[in-house]
Amino acid sequence: MTGIGAVRPVGPADEVWQRATDGFNRWVAGEPSGLDDLVAAMTPVLWHVVRSYRLSESAAEDVIQTTWLALVRRRAAILDAKAVGGWLTTTARREAWRVAQATSAVAPADDDDLAPLLPRQRSAEDAVVQRDEGDRLWAAVDRLPERCRRLLRIVAFENRPDYRELAADLDMPVGSIGPTRGRCLAKLRVALVQAGATETGEYR
Amino acid sequence: MSELSREALLGIVRDVWERRDPVPAHLVAAMQATAAMAGSDVDAELMELVERSTELVGARGSTAYTLRFVHEDTDLLLRVAVDGDRSRVDGWVVPAEPMTVRALPGELPAPYAAVVTESGRFELTDLPLGLLRLRLEPHDTTRPAFATPTFEI
Repeated sequence: MTGIGAVRPVGPADEVWQRATDGFNRWVAGEPSGLDDLVAAMTPVLWHVVRSYRLSESAAEDVIQTTWLALVRRRAAILDAKAVGGWLTTTARREAWRVAQATSAVAPADDDDLAPLLPRQRSAEDAVVQRDEGDRLWAAVDRLPERCRRLLRIVAFENRPDYRELAADLDMPVGSIGPTRGRCLAKLRVALVQAGATETGEYR
Repeated sequence: MSELSREALLGIVRDVWERRDPVPAHLVAAMQATAAMAGSDVDAELMELVERSTELVGARGSTAYTLRFVHEDTDLLLRVAVDGDRSRVDGWVVPAEPMTVRALPGELPAPYAAVVTESGRFELTDLPLGLLRLRLEPHDTTRPAFATPTFEI
């Protein structure tokens, strides 16, 4: 699995791919717990990738379930255990795209575009700690154009997204994904400064 | 304020989405149950060892021998060659059908896998010595996978 000009996130994301590979190897070797670990590692990634296709929560869950069933059925297609994460995200994106196309005609109102603008229910103690820093970060991401929000969400959670498919999904020319990503990151950087979200230095 | 790196920015994006649109609490457990249930159907059926040749000792301490396994209508012939501390397996599946063959060495799962050719041949190279098991996964998903018993190289 290689993408053109692929981004390689550092930190927790790298551990996710390693856990996925280890789990797959153990599962193939006959340990059911390997499959459990693979599912635990990759389901959150699939969630964020699939939700970027503006699917409802229940539609997103269906897509993720379809993806896991496909993996179990098509396991023989994966020769290189390191490719399992990419195989899963690619399969999930294809299915998410298909479902999004099929449902967009009957769902003109786009709740998910409004949802980010609404504050989400959080526990009281979370709210106290997170309100300032968290809200500033949210506000900065919200300020991005919708296409930037979706592209950055996918790029942030995937390891090496396939730019060709990403371009088709987002209705953009293949060659523009890299530059667009760069522009979106630049916009985010500006939005963060404007929102004063990085003054605490947490993400410096 | 220092310039935020690309990785730091993507880390912020991850963080924002993890808080704003968290994975539903039940989802991981539900998917584990779904996958486990589907996965339990793919337990491999065991092949039977029907023939093992005497070892052929070659030059420079290399050895080779053949094994033959059967399962229902499928025959699996293996020629195992050892050279130093590595080995290779040349296999032949009869009748030929599209499948993935995985080598599962001992306790340590490792990514040794090959797809059989149209003529039913496959090869696995640079395998460690020790205990080994091969798992055959037909690409026809209605067919169950099958595996050899563990054998030692």
